[in-house]
Amino acid sequence: MAKKKFDQSRRDFLEGAGVTVVAGTAASALASSAVSAEESSHQVPSTFIQLTVNGNPQLVEVEDRWTLVELLRDKFNLTGTKIGCNRSECGACTVIMNGKPVYSCSQLAVWAEGAEITTVEGLANNGQLSPLQQAFVDNNGPQCGFCTPGQLMTATALLETNSSPDADEIKQAMVGNLCRCSNYNAIVEAVLLAGNNPTDNQEGVA
Amino acid sequence: MSEATNIGINSEVNTKVEPLNTIGRETARVDAIERVTGEAKYSRDVKLPGMLYARTLRSPHPHARIRSIDISAAQRLSGVRAVITHENAEVVWGAGSVNGGRQYNDPTKDETRHPRYIFNNPVRCVGDSVAAVAATDRNIAEQALSLIKVDYEELPFVLEAEAALEEGAPLVWPDGNLCPDFSNNLEPMAVNVGDVEAGFEQADQVFEQRYETGFIHNAQMEPRCALAHWEGDKLTLYSPTQGISNCRHDTARDLGLEDHQVRIICNYMGGGFGNKNQNQDADLVAATLSRRANAPVMLEYSRKEDWLGVHGRWPTAQYYKVGVKNDGSLTAMQMRGYSGMGPYRKNSGGISGMDAYACANWQRTIYPAYTNRTTSGNFRAPSEPHGFYGVESMMDDIAYKLGIDPVQFTLKNMRRPTEDRPYTNYSLDECIATGAEQFDWVSRRKVTPGSDEGPIKRGAGFSFMMFRAGVGTSSAIVRVDANQQYTLFVGVTDIGPGAKTTMGMIAAEELGVPLSQVEVVAGDTDRCPYSVGESGSRTTIMTGYAVVEAARELKQQIADDGMPSGSEVLIASATPRPTTDGKVRQCFGAHFVEVEVDTRSGSTKVLKYTTVHESGRIINPQTAKDQIRGATIQGIGQALHEDLLYDPASGQPLTTGYYRARHLTHLDIPDIEVTFIEVDDGYGPFGAKTAGEAGIILAPAAVANAVSNAIGKRMTSLPISRDKVLGALA
Repeated sequence: MAKKKFDQSRRDFLEGAGVTVVAGTAASALASSAVSAEESSHQVPSTFIQLTVNGNPQLVEVEDRWTLVELLRDKFNLTGTKIGCNRSECGACTVIMNGKPVYSCSQLAVWAEGAEITTVEGLANNGQLSPLQQAFVDNNGPQCGFCTPGQLMTATALLETNSSPDADEIKQAMVGNLCRCSNYNAIVEAVLLAGNNPTDNQEGVA
Repeated sequence: MSEATNIGINSEVNTKVEPLNTIGRETARVDAIERVTGEAKYSRDVKLPGMLYARTLRSPHPHARIRSIDISAAQRLSGVRAVITHENAEVVWGAGSVNGGRQYNDPTKDETRHPRYIFNNPVRCVGDSVAAVAATDRNIAEQALSLIKVDYEELPFVLEAEAALEEGAPLVWPDGNLCPDFSNNLEPMAVNVGDVEAGFEQADQVFEQRYETGFIHNAQMEPRCALAHWEGDKLTLYSPTQGISNCRHDTARDLGLEDHQVRIICNYMGGGFGNKNQNQDADLVAATLSRRANAPVMLEYSRKEDWLGVHGRWPTAQYYKVGVKNDGSLTAMQMRGYSGMGPYRKNSGGISGMDAYACANWQRTIYPAYTNRTTSGNFRAPSEPHGFYGVESMMDDIAYKLGIDPVQFTLKNMRRPTEDRPYTNYSLDECIATGAEQFDWVSRRKVTPGSDEGPIKRGAGFSFMMFRAGVGTSSAIVRVDANQQYTLFVGVTDIGPGAKTTMGMIAAEELGVPLSQVEVVAGDTDRCPYSVGESGSRTTIMTGYAVVEAARELKQQIADDGMPSGSEVLIASATPRPTTDGKVRQCFGAHFVEVEVDTRSGSTKVLKYTTVHESGRIINPQTAKDQIRGATIQGIGQALHEDLLYDPASGQPLTTGYYRARHLTHLDIPDIEVTFIEVDDGYGPFGAKTAGEAGIILAPAAVANAVSNAIGKRMTSLPISRDKVLGALA
């Protein structure tokens, strides 16, 4: 049952899918929701959208309740993008959408109509790592690696608008990407290395 | 160094080390490219044909008896394949509740007084599991949860460990709220050395103070999940675990299987810091659902579920009493501690730190108590950061009250090797001296705490630690083929510190070949021999030592038989049982930090942070440095921000998530200077010790001491949030 994409407002999203997607399972489990057995998933509205993912044009039918990260991971099998919190807190799901880093857990898939999306799988070019990826390799950018795709995407977007950021600019741009291994120093050092001024030292600012 | 520090040192091996061919060289991770391209498959990235998705229903009440549970509507929902509850799925999670909290002791799990099931009745905390559903997609599974009708009889609850042990407190378990010890007795954990009462009588001054610390969620980026798949009677689990061998054994025991009937696969893992040790209830729930539904089942936890359904560091209250002479020498130390374990005793509830001091008379009594908060368990150095915070705050306070530099006070009182207790080597003096000099301790600390003029005040703090670096048993297999390609089979999982790379480097070094000639096969119990697991700071030392021995054996075979040709291979394995010849083996460290406290807002900013660690020989300087930096930052978070707060009236958790727990972000991070004092003590693989846990121990004490030095008031409660600073100054 296809439905036009713009019919889906933020409010519909919160009311319809919010229980399951935005608030997360525990919240839905803790609340005594009033969804009845009749409202099973069979009647879920869906929409055809066109978008470009890592340079490849795609025409795909998406359920209106899907988030962008669900589309990327489940439909396109681009599992490099991670779900850490599913509620805009951690940044593990960051992808580049029309040149800007976004939390793909908090974008509806239907909102990606016409968009250009880049995921971590799209950073290397014919097997050649991007300078930023290479800097992450050389400078121990990943520890456990779960936040790494998100860190890379935010830093890539930053470097595209500012090719030689200093440490403070990097920290400002990447404040929405958490790393519980707390490998923050190494990540900033890697981004500095990938920029045009690799000799810039980090300031000791807290 | 005094003469005593030389006891136990073998002068031939206990020397400063130079980089070897591979070891000691900055080395990129062997799987770094997979980690930066998205190719690395974490457990949640695995898809199997016909896979179902599972969700868990959790208790909204802190304590309640389930009168009835009706799953009929959920079962009728189209797409639902299995629904399990405490009524139809009675599986004991052995590692989930252990007398004495000794997680690796098998018999104890069978004898535990308080067995934990995958679904419990009564439910004993908000978030305790009630039911689970497997369905053809996630949305149906979540919808099915909402159709399960649970009739709860709410019960009285208790949230704090001290309150739980008071007369008349609500009972989490019928036989009382004091957690049973290893011998199944309802007794606290007690150490009693010398005669404390006599020690207090000898003292010129006696000081007493209570310290408290919060619940710190491990908060690893990858939420818990488990994908279970049965083929006949063989279970394959894709699970994010910090120990595939232990996970296999525990899962087999809990499900009534033999070890060989369970295969654990964990190729990449998104962090754990102690809360992915062994098996988890998610593994058992997924396996049970998969068996019932006759299909692979992927169980996923949301972030909030991970917060409440997994575990974090236990909150504590610590009452210290310390006697000193006016010259600063200790005559007696006493501590009574309370650890809030939540409703199940997953781990010890320990509060360490006092034994880092040499005092003839000391006594420690810890009461691990059941509460109706979420479960507490191991987090990176499980007993240390909160304990070292308590005791080193106490000592720092005493030093200033006596007019003694805390560093000098420590040098006077810290534990050193004795004839009765020799060490493989001892470098704490050097760590402290090096750190003090690098940091410029003498000029940065305020001799009179709080003496800065104006609303913004600076201060400096110091802490030290010694931590286990023992040796033990693990296994490794090395193979070489006719192309001189070596394959190392080790049952490690790289949870972040870089175990695959470290093991490969150790093998390459011992074999005398470049790392590129060594392929590391890890993370799969059907392919790899037993490994101790990525917990307790053991992998580098124990599995690393097995790698050395296996490589040595292979070299001998090559020397005896020549390199293999054609389709031949040579294979060597080792399961060594190394000892330290009765000596204590520890790693050492000292941290120095300068902070700035805005006394108008109560906020604290870290200005300068200097760390010095002796972790034996460093295998990979690149990853070791970031272990120390990352651990230090986690420790700063514990000192200043993190806690799981509960509403005392409703028993509801309030800060379940990154945002609410205020985890540090890029903007909060100071530059952290790391210096390793490298020593080969002749034990362990090439003299390597431990680093991953050791780094987190010192920051809470150092930061708290620095804040106290800045504002002139002792900070007795972690985290040092702004309201506490303002409260102390009021």
